[in-house]
Amino acid sequence: MRDTFNKMIGRTRYVVFRLFLHLGGGEVAPILGVLNSAGRDAIDVDGDLEVLGEGLVEISQTLLQYDEYWLSAANEGDVFWDEGEAGDYVNELFTDSAERYLSEPNYSSDSGSNEPLSIPVTRNVIVMITVAYEGEVPELETDLSNVQALKEGLKALINLHYKHRLKAIQVHFSPAQLGDELTSDQLLQYYPELIPL
Amino acid sequence: MIMTIVRKFTAIFLALSLCLTTVACGGGNQTNSSAKNVNQISTTNLSDGEYQIQQATYDDATGEYNLFLLNNKPPTFATENLQMARLTDDEIKQGKKTYLKVEKGQPILYLTEDFKLEYVHNVTENKTNPQTGQQETVVVRRENSFWAPFAGSVAGSLAGQALGSLLFRPQYYVPPVYQSGQGLSGFGGYGTSYGQAVQNYQTFYNAPPAAVTNRTAFRNTGTIRRSYPGNSTVPNTPRSTIGNNRPSGSGFGSSTLQPSGKSSTTRRNSGSGFGSGRSTAPRRSSSFGRRRR
Repeated sequence: MRDTFNKMIGRTRYVVFRLFLHLGGGEVAPILGVLNSAGRDAIDVDGDLEVLGEGLVEISQTLLQYDEYWLSAANEGDVFWDEGEAGDYVNELFTDSAERYLSEPNYSSDSGSNEPLSIPVTRNVIVMITVAYEGEVPELETDLSNVQALKEGLKALINLHYKHRLKAIQVHFSPAQLGDELTSDQLLQYYPELIPL
Repeated sequence: MIMTIVRKFTAIFLALSLCLTTVACGGGNQTNSSAKNVNQISTTNLSDGEYQIQQATYDDATGEYNLFLLNNKPPTFATENLQMARLTDDEIKQGKKTYLKVEKGQPILYLTEDFKLEYVHNVTENKTNPQTGQQETVVVRRENSFWAPFAGSVAGSLAGQALGSLLFRPQYYVPPVYQSGQGLSGFGGYGTSYGQAVQNYQTFYNAPPAAVTNRTAFRNTGTIRRSYPGNSTVPNTPRSTIGNNRPSGSGFGSSTLQPSGKSSTTRRNSGSGFGSGRSTAPRRSSSFGRRRR
């Protein structure tokens, strides 16, 4: 009722959307490279949304190519008619996503003497993507806990960038880099909302 | 015969008015005061018509236009969503001056060629907040300048004949790059939507306009910056994450949405949430985004 009313008086519809995607298997670690390079690009340009959008496209593309490794997923979101509320929620989600991993690991000068020749390769990677956009995208505003819906959702994310409708983009991932590990127990503990695909 | 029509009409009328009041009440809890809302209210407040302009200000921190209207109450009008167009020579000959026209709620500013908007430039710096350790963009000082969007010579030389006639059609404009101690003339980008104007600017200058960069809030966490290739030493050993069982991770994100600035984070229950909501027990249809257990 309120939806139609707001639409009628021509208010802008803001949607904030968050996706969790957990990939598992022996060959998932290369994704970390894509994620980190997108992050570096973003830092280089101080968060220019256009560049972040390109990064998002690349990440979504990579995730689509790794569809055999998708193990579980979850999504959530809300619709806003007020930019301020949407902006607040985006900030809230950033903090919530960031809280689930340790962003400042202990860097004692442990590199050097007893460096092992091999590094452990993580068998789990989790990617959290949050976007805010204007308008309506039915592919995203639904339950994405099955493979087909998820594929459509990721494609819709890519399209959103090219339609220039993204207002905010966040990407979080864990573990941070090759050599760090994310165990299944940690997944259960910090990402309870994940639903097996 | 007439009675039945009247009776029917009364029933329909009552039903309609009931609907309207319900909608009005439903929308009520949203009118918390915030800077953003004030803008929206002033946008809708100005009824359709023409208004004379005393002065116009453009702020490049927010991309907001502030217009001072003559013989109007309230005398100021602030909006980000402003289209501009040049007055045609005929109109100028008829003695028309710069004026604001509101058409179906859309404000359009018709400018004479030499009309200057006051341009407020915000000099920003990236500073690290000593309390949080996070990078923040801070306005260190403001400079005043002028912006003449349709200053003749520039518009002519830059755009040529084809665009010349476009100038008379209402469009969105983005100011050119700010130069200290110099007035701005001409425009950096134009388009039929604000987004298009920004894009137009971006293809020209290869960077987003000031209003957009100043609005963008960038956050990042984790080790991305450190693992930058130039920074060499990436420790390959598994971290000793003493006392914390969390996995490592990184994140980055930027947003051009203006936060409301409200202190409380009350989530309204409007039934608009969606998602794969699992296991949270009695979920109201509205609220989502689960709290940690």
